[in-house]
Amino acid sequence: MKIERNKFADSIFEMHEKGFTYLVKITAVDYQKYLEMVYIFRNLESIEENTLEIDLDPSDLWMPSITNYYKAADWYERELQEMFGVEIKGRNAKRLLLEKWDGKGFPLRKNFEWNKQYETME
Amino acid sequence: MSITRINIGPIHPSTHGVCRLVVDVDGDTIVKVEPHIGFLHRGVEKLVENRMYMQCPPYMEKLDYVAPMSMDDLYVGAVEAALGVEVKERAKYVRVILLELQRLASHLFLIGSVGNDLGLMFTMFMWAFKDRDLILKLLEEATGQRMFYVNMRLGGLVNTLPKDFEEHTIDTLEGLEKRLKKYQAFLEKNPIFIERMKGVGVLKKEDAIDLGVTGPVLRASGVRYDVRKNNPYYVYRELNFSEKVLYDGDNLARFRVRILEMYESMRLIRAAFEKMPEGDEKGMPIRLITPKAKNRIVVVNREVPRGEGLIYMVADPEKAYRLSIRAPSFINLAALEHITKGARIADLFAIFGSLDLVMADVDR
Amino acid sequence: MLIGSLEGIMGNGLSSHNPLVMLLFVVIYAVGVLIIMSAFAYVFGWIERKIIAKIQLRHGPNQVGKYGILQNLADIVKLISKEKAVPSNADRSLFILAPQLMLSLMVFLILLVPIFPSLQVANFGLSMLAIFVLLGFSPLILFVIAFSSGNKFADLSAQRSVLMLMSYEIPMIITVASVFLVSNSYNIQSIVAMQSKTWFAIMLPIGFIVFFIAMLAELERPPFDLMEADSELIAGWLTDVSAPYYAIALFIDYTRMFLGGLLISILFLGGWNGPILPPTVWLIVKAFVIAIFIIIIRASTVRMRIDRVLRLGWVWLIPLALINLVMAYVLFG
Repeated sequence: MKIERNKFADSIFEMHEKGFTYLVKITAVDYQKYLEMVYIFRNLESIEENTLEIDLDPSDLWMPSITNYYKAADWYERELQEMFGVEIKGRNAKRLLLEKWDGKGFPLRKNFEWNKQYETME
Repeated sequence: MSITRINIGPIHPSTHGVCRLVVDVDGDTIVKVEPHIGFLHRGVEKLVENRMYMQCPPYMEKLDYVAPMSMDDLYVGAVEAALGVEVKERAKYVRVILLELQRLASHLFLIGSVGNDLGLMFTMFMWAFKDRDLILKLLEEATGQRMFYVNMRLGGLVNTLPKDFEEHTIDTLEGLEKRLKKYQAFLEKNPIFIERMKGVGVLKKEDAIDLGVTGPVLRASGVRYDVRKNNPYYVYRELNFSEKVLYDGDNLARFRVRILEMYESMRLIRAAFEKMPEGDEKGMPIRLITPKAKNRIVVVNREVPRGEGLIYMVADPEKAYRLSIRAPSFINLAALEHITKGARIADLFAIFGSLDLVMADVDR
Repeated sequence: MLIGSLEGIMGNGLSSHNPLVMLLFVVIYAVGVLIIMSAFAYVFGWIERKIIAKIQLRHGPNQVGKYGILQNLADIVKLISKEKAVPSNADRSLFILAPQLMLSLMVFLILLVPIFPSLQVANFGLSMLAIFVLLGFSPLILFVIAFSSGNKFADLSAQRSVLMLMSYEIPMIITVASVFLVSNSYNIQSIVAMQSKTWFAIMLPIGFIVFFIAMLAELERPPFDLMEADSELIAGWLTDVSAPYYAIALFIDYTRMFLGGLLISILFLGGWNGPILPPTVWLIVKAFVIAIFIIIIRASTVRMRIDRVLRLGWVWLIPLALINLVMAYVLFG
């Protein structure tokens, strides 16, 4: 289900109310023109899954945090901040999830420059 | 009392890998545990984006070195879904047998390390490992490798089962079932063991759902969810799989759920042997794969020994455009901070061990 | 006192009135006993490794010497030849001194326990009491090592050791008091002599069990090895102890277990009383049986938690020890 970012908070609230209380996964896909955020939820009573997709403009990468509703989102959000450079707003913990890394850019974005050494190996 | 901050790891015998825990303790009571991860981060998700589909299973296996075949199966399952490959009927049974054997091996690892984490020298560990080795021997018979099998091909497997594999497996399982009862009695008849496990690290049902924990940890908290039951793949429905659920949500429940699952796995293996049709289980040779992705976006989940493994894949014809893995250890480790709140430092590793984490899986 | 006792043991024929000659005798004899006891402790370390290996379906040491008997010696040589590392934030002098203090304490203890019943280095009226005074001293040295090393794990371990001390030392002393009450003496020789007909373990069964459990805790053996709990405290008070100091710790560990076996057999299992075989053999056999039992416990039980140890001490051991004392007074006092 594709939605707009400004309707995201309402959808999350609605989702949580409808019994989709189990967060399966938050992930993102870099389609270069836009970056798609994917939230997969599950209702453990009726075993239904629901997916929310939000397209983000690469120049305006931020998402509201959903840790108020889903504690499980915490580490996923931290991972996304680090791997995709999506700023998650409204979070308390600022620490990086993985250990510090000296390189530039965000590894899972498509414009991430590979190390020259790896290039030759390819 | 003042709060002491102690650092455990990254190299520590009880962390089951390289994980660093920063623990704030007040006397003997834990105030806060902060896991620092990423020591084993290899960027598998990025590597996969740059390789052909069937070049990747070896990477996937190294995610979970305790149960490599399960991760292999998860990945190959995703690729099969993307390319629209049908799995051969006999291969489905063979896969179930091998995967359940893998689950037995993985759970034996946990039973062994439970003793270690509670300070039982290495007795239980060595006993369980001896049995684990018997299972690895079976897997070696079936696949030709002892640990990293790379035995999955699209639509089937690389190797056919050897002739006397069934006989060997049934024999091994018979011995294992007897010894498993002995192991459980050895641990659970010890009042100190029960004292250390019961009511320790309680994770209530609501919290378990909220924290998104998976697999045996979730089922030990009383949530009835098992991918093999609720979203059956292969032949789990035909084999009448029933999920094991306990309601206490403490260390003991997490330990017992796994033992129950082991008995269920043994039953599944025996049933699968009985119902297995004749035929061929060989998969497609790699060079014959037609690079034509049918489905652009694929979501596949499998019950790996550590919990629910899920792959979200955006498929290009020849390789994955984006592959995102939901690692069960990752999300279970995220719950550690909540579970250990208020526990004693002596119980930290009992709880840590009961989550059955593999650090390579956490960091990816 | 020492010389006097030696005179008594060796009889008039050997005794000399020259105090220097007597002192020489005492020193030579003490060194001899020390060597023999160390040899037993050493064999003990080997037996422990072998038995645990057997239980765990391993081979155990089998490369150095016949059946790996020299493995522990190789370990000790390795440890002694290593660099003496002292952590930078440790109290240097205390950190170096404390293990040696512990070693000398152990030597005193060894000399007090009569391995050859007829030849005792120091036989005096309060010899058993002296042993327990020295034994009660050793956890405090452990505490000093832990605090002087300036390590957080050692600190936690030290906190635990204090709590442990509270829970097992009291029942142990109360039970020993019941033995004193029945035997009407503080002297090892007369305690053993009292048991020539019936062992105290049969007369005071509750006391025997309480003493055994308290002794396990005193020896820091599983399930009471909370101070060096490897899964959470790395090695507890031993975390920063390395090289020769660690060798000392290892030596003390094995010696203490042997000593514990000796004490239990002297206090409750009739000491060196026994038919046919010479008394020394009886004593050592009993000590070995006890210690092997302790080893089997080590290989088969999980570790207790500190709050549970406290509860065990105060809810079970202390009341039982008191009941035992009353029973001893009523029945045999």
